[in-house]
Amino acid sequence: MIVLPAALLTLAGCGPAQSRLDAVSGAAVRMLQAVADHDGSLACDLLAPETAAEVGKDDPCPKAILDENLPGPAAVVGTELYGQWAQVRLADDTLFLAHFGDGWKVVAAGCTSRGERPYDCRVKGG
Amino acid sequence: MRRFVKENSLTLVFGVLFLIVLVLQAISGHAGYNQQQLTDGLPPVSFGRYVTSASFGVDVAENWQSEYLQFFLYVLLTAWLVQKGSPESKSLGEAGLESDQDQKVGPYADENSPKWARVGGPRRWLLSNSLGLVMGLIFLGSWLAQSIAGVAAYNEQQLSRLQDPIGWSKYLAEPEFWNRTLQNWQSELLAVASMAIFSIYLRQRGSSQSKPVGAAHTATGVEG
Repeated sequence: MIVLPAALLTLAGCGPAQSRLDAVSGAAVRMLQAVADHDGSLACDLLAPETAAEVGKDDPCPKAILDENLPGPAAVVGTELYGQWAQVRLADDTLFLAHFGDGWKVVAAGCTSRGERPYDCRVKGG
Repeated sequence: MRRFVKENSLTLVFGVLFLIVLVLQAISGHAGYNQQQLTDGLPPVSFGRYVTSASFGVDVAENWQSEYLQFFLYVLLTAWLVQKGSPESKSLGEAGLESDQDQKVGPYADENSPKWARVGGPRRWLLSNSLGLVMGLIFLGSWLAQSIAGVAAYNEQQLSRLQDPIGWSKYLAEPEFWNRTLQNWQSELLAVASMAIFSIYLRQRGSSQSKPVGAAHTATGVEG
């Protein structure tokens, strides 16, 4: 019975296509790679506007994002995508992304699970 | 064509009204969805993307399942349950499946009876229960669709709140699923109970759902 809905979803083509999942995880990894490469401008380009604004509240975003102690890009463990929102789990980090006109952007990064409560994230929107 | 429209006006009018209202629901739902997008700091989505979203799907399916549940129960239970004075009810002494003669099946079928009413076995059983079966199956299908679209819409919300998505089986135990389900069920059951009671004392002249205006309040199973 539990298998049936998953099968129906697949048959209906409702499950996210692999290309969409790859686009999401690619955006997450690119942002963390930019931070690891000390390319703050690129990293901020890959953040959602509200997140970039929050990060750049005191110092300019390209500088501030490098001081957030985000982990480097690790292997992608899993990607979940529902509508306009997605979650990418890496070996040592969890990121949340949303879809914008110009692709997937990181809404929150450096996130730690708190069980049923929202993730605690080093970087997130206001 | 004119004759066809006249002879099928009940289905045609309700079918057209259904489509109009479904489009209006989609338009208002799209506006509401985009309000939430703005609140989340996200760009608005297109109308096409909204009507193929889980959010629209669950809103449609949750109402469909409850309507078909209502008719499934109504069709099934009015065979056995009666309401004195209500045109929605059979006569008080007729509760049950009734005799083959009353139901015009087997040897009592007439020349206009469906073929499957004449034959015995599973085909007659299927025809005898086809209305309830179809309503019941559409109910189950819509409820399943509600649960599938519902978990996707729920997970979209979960992610927007920086929370983990959940699986389908876990969603079935979530208050959100049951709140969506039960708020529709209670209103459908209230509507049926109200109709059964109100139609004892109230009339709508000319309606097949009402007793004739001059019929006694105590008259049961009489339709106008």
